[in-house]
Amino acid sequence: MDEPTLDAIIARYEAPSGRLLGILGEIQDQEGYIPRETLGMLAEKLDVRLSQLYSLATFYSYFSLTPVGEHVITVCMGTACHVKGAPAILEALEGMLGIKSDTSVDGKFSITTEDRKFTLAIARCFGACSMAPVLRIDGNLYGYATKENLPAILGEYGWEP
Amino acid sequence: MKITSAADLETVRQAGLQKLQPVKPRIAVGLATCGIAVGGSRVYERLREIIKRDGLDIILTKTGCIGYCKEEPLVNITIPNKPLVILHKVTEADAEEIIKLVQKGKVPADKALCRVPSWDHVTGCILEYGKGFTKIPLYGKVPFFKGQQKVILRDAGLINPEDIDEYIAVGGYKAAIKALTGKDSETVIKEVEKSGLRGRGGAGFPTGLKWRITRDAKAEKKYIICNADEGDPGAYMNRNEMESDPHMLIEGMIIGAYAMGAPDGLIYIRAEYPLAIKRLKLAIGQAREYGLLGNNIFGTNFSFDIGIATGAGAFVCGESTALVASIEGRTGRPHPRPPRLTDIGGGLFGYPTDLNNVETWCNVPVIIINGSDWYARIGSKDNTGTKVFSLVGKVDRVGLVEVPLGTTLNTIVSDIGNGGANNKKVKAVQTGGPSGGCIPFRLFDTPMDFENLNKAGSIMGSGGIVVMDEDTDMVDIARFFINFATGESCGKCIPCREGLKHSLLLLNRILAKKGTKKDIETLALLSDTIVATSLCGLGQTAPNPVLTTLAYFREEYDALVKP
Amino acid sequence: MTPGEVSSTDGQKKQVEVRINGKKYPADEGEIILGIAVREKIAIPHLCYEPSLVPYGACRLCMVEVVKRGKRELTTSCTLQAAEGLEVVTDTPEIVKHRSILFELYLAEAPKSDVIKAMAARYGVTKTRFLKKLDTTDSLGNKCILCGLCVRACNEIMGAGAIGFVNRGPYTVVNTPYFEPTKDCYGCGACVKVCPTNAVEMEDAGGMRIMKSWSETKVPLLRCDCCGKYYAPKGLAISILARITPSLKEETAALCPECRGKRIAREEILAGSGGAGNHG
Repeated sequence: MDEPTLDAIIARYEAPSGRLLGILGEIQDQEGYIPRETLGMLAEKLDVRLSQLYSLATFYSYFSLTPVGEHVITVCMGTACHVKGAPAILEALEGMLGIKSDTSVDGKFSITTEDRKFTLAIARCFGACSMAPVLRIDGNLYGYATKENLPAILGEYGWEP
Repeated sequence: MKITSAADLETVRQAGLQKLQPVKPRIAVGLATCGIAVGGSRVYERLREIIKRDGLDIILTKTGCIGYCKEEPLVNITIPNKPLVILHKVTEADAEEIIKLVQKGKVPADKALCRVPSWDHVTGCILEYGKGFTKIPLYGKVPFFKGQQKVILRDAGLINPEDIDEYIAVGGYKAAIKALTGKDSETVIKEVEKSGLRGRGGAGFPTGLKWRITRDAKAEKKYIICNADEGDPGAYMNRNEMESDPHMLIEGMIIGAYAMGAPDGLIYIRAEYPLAIKRLKLAIGQAREYGLLGNNIFGTNFSFDIGIATGAGAFVCGESTALVASIEGRTGRPHPRPPRLTDIGGGLFGYPTDLNNVETWCNVPVIIINGSDWYARIGSKDNTGTKVFSLVGKVDRVGLVEVPLGTTLNTIVSDIGNGGANNKKVKAVQTGGPSGGCIPFRLFDTPMDFENLNKAGSIMGSGGIVVMDEDTDMVDIARFFINFATGESCGKCIPCREGLKHSLLLLNRILAKKGTKKDIETLALLSDTIVATSLCGLGQTAPNPVLTTLAYFREEYDALVKP
Repeated sequence: MTPGEVSSTDGQKKQVEVRINGKKYPADEGEIILGIAVREKIAIPHLCYEPSLVPYGACRLCMVEVVKRGKRELTTSCTLQAAEGLEVVTDTPEIVKHRSILFELYLAEAPKSDVIKAMAARYGVTKTRFLKKLDTTDSLGNKCILCGLCVRACNEIMGAGAIGFVNRGPYTVVNTPYFEPTKDCYGCGACVKVCPTNAVEMEDAGGMRIMKSWSETKVPLLRCDCCGKYYAPKGLAISILARITPSLKEETAALCPECRGKRIAREEILAGSGGAGNHG
């Protein structure tokens, strides 16, 4: 992320309330993750310790420190989705993308395919529980996901069997 | 223009009514997150294309969600002098037919869910739509809606949440003007106290009392915060409240800020709710334009404004001290109390702070408009008012259900929800999210109120009700919740951080059929210690799913281990 | 108002009497009960309590039973403030039961810590039924209990901010950003001093202070012009020396405390003053 873009983001948060998480959130939304150089630049501009920003970036699930693929698939693993078969959906997606569920060292579930086309992640609830199981791809929500309709949904994003 | 008097408000109200009940046909597409997730946007786009293509004089607009999520996408048709009709399971392919019929003053009968001849918006405003369409069932006769009492969801799915004029049209901001220009803070607080309103986030703390304590704290500055983190998976009432009727939250906060003397309010909202964030920002902007937020509201010397702070994926930030830490730019690790949020030195940036859930705030305008007596007559003595519950999982009719507190689980799950989906038998429900417990079918005569749910071993929580059927493995459910809690634990104190981790290992072993009776005993002992020694509510309640499934479904655990 | 502070008009703290295990003890109003227990040598186990920091409430070992409005409640004694007539019991059967489980969790989390083993043994716990953490790559030697004292000392007392908590829940660890050496470390060693389980490792070698636990962060040490010993972190020492008024003479400032003392003593003796003199 270049400096003017970062400055513009920082300028949008004048009030101290919600400032740090808001700025980090915008960086995450724009870049898909929080680049190391950006975090360092931010520490300097805001005059806060890098360790504080690093603590924030690793504590909150919304932030990722590793680059993501072209498309991010997030499977909801909330209660209603679980009860309606979300684990099976996750497993099916792992199979379709050729990646294995990673009990990551940092507790954040996020795996990217080798060709960097897709990243698979989980979320705790999008609040669309009535249409469980739910998944989100690049900000678009899909309800009533089944193993059968997954290929069509993924196909919209260039997935091929 | 700025609204500075009741007369100004009335002028805007009339303009808003023109939009809600125009002289030409109006089509409103349900575009809350759930409607969009099943194709609502495509329906909207297709209708817009056709209207443009044929140059038609039809108003197309957005609305929120009336709560019958199972039947989404939902579309409202308002034909002048005819009842409002709600269409269900609408697809793009239906668009042409809908437009054709609407032009003739008709509606597609096969897509009609129900008709609404008139609607009471609970703020002293009853909208008359008209007579006709008698073959379409009445709204009040639809089994899902029949047992409900809409107070919080009075506007959801009917008005356009992106237009403040429509909120004002149905009585919006009347309560705010009444409080700010006609009452003093003591009167307002007394009204809220008498109403018996209790926190809708789950703790059930008397709201009026919390307001009084905050008001009485002697500090140069105070804050009020709305907890819109809604972290319980399976609960989405707050999301709908914000996406479908954001102004009732803003109005509630204006009244509260006035009563407590707080010039600044914040809405802490989870990052996973982008549409709610967008609609709230829009609503705040529109309120500012009318002078309902900002300096000298209604020409009084009360100034107040609302900011938005986003969360970032941490369930623990629903806990009040962690929430405040998050807004301050720190990690969401709770701190022990004292000091409490309302104490000097305990709240946001050290200032006394009142924190209330979205739905608690949304109750305030109706209490002020209709009075505490009216409100206290709903529900039961210590559990007044209504509650919006999200009825999800293996139930037939999935959606948002609003009923008076004290309504039994049977009424909600079996009557309104029509029991198990796909003709399966309902086995249990989980209430209160990950902090709650599982209640077996035989205890479904339990009234849904704070005390009775505690007695059953669960809690009200924010109102999520997840239904489980005969195929659900209750030990797997216990493991699901412990897995969730382990992932969401902040890690500060050892009973939660390590205790939950080892509980998960035990449950995994038991579910893999490698566990023993001793493992079950250890799990129970560990759960008790986690409850008794954890620093905050997350740890103190995380073992509840284990404790309730052990109490009510012990046989499922025993079946997995060697005798 | 932070715990321990009392709002009184003349700065004089009100004296109260509290009862611990049936015995009466005098205290300042608002004084931390755990602090009183430490003072009066009443045994309450604790790991994360540090009088110079705001009570943190992380270790959960200091729990006591307090009678409040007729009800018995378990609470941490590090957050409990003395008030007139407060009654506290330290070893009820319930507390003993929960404490034992907590010690088992500690033994599993920090199996290499002798401090934990000794403390647990004092309270009757010598083994754990929970899976022990044995990570040979752990830079804290499997002794860390995540009490947060090192982080708080670094951030709140020293203001360096070199280390912090990373991740959350059971994945939490303490380290530097990106697990790499950091320029923010003062090399002061406050983290080593404050750690209750001696988990933090630091070594002086080759003119550098090596924070072995913090990703091998290296901080240059200042060398004595006279004896050649490396005696203090360079940056920290220089900034502190610069703040002393009146400032030290350059030649004296370049010496380690031992040599400085010897030099000043010799100067005094040679000057014949034979007593207290200007140590500049």
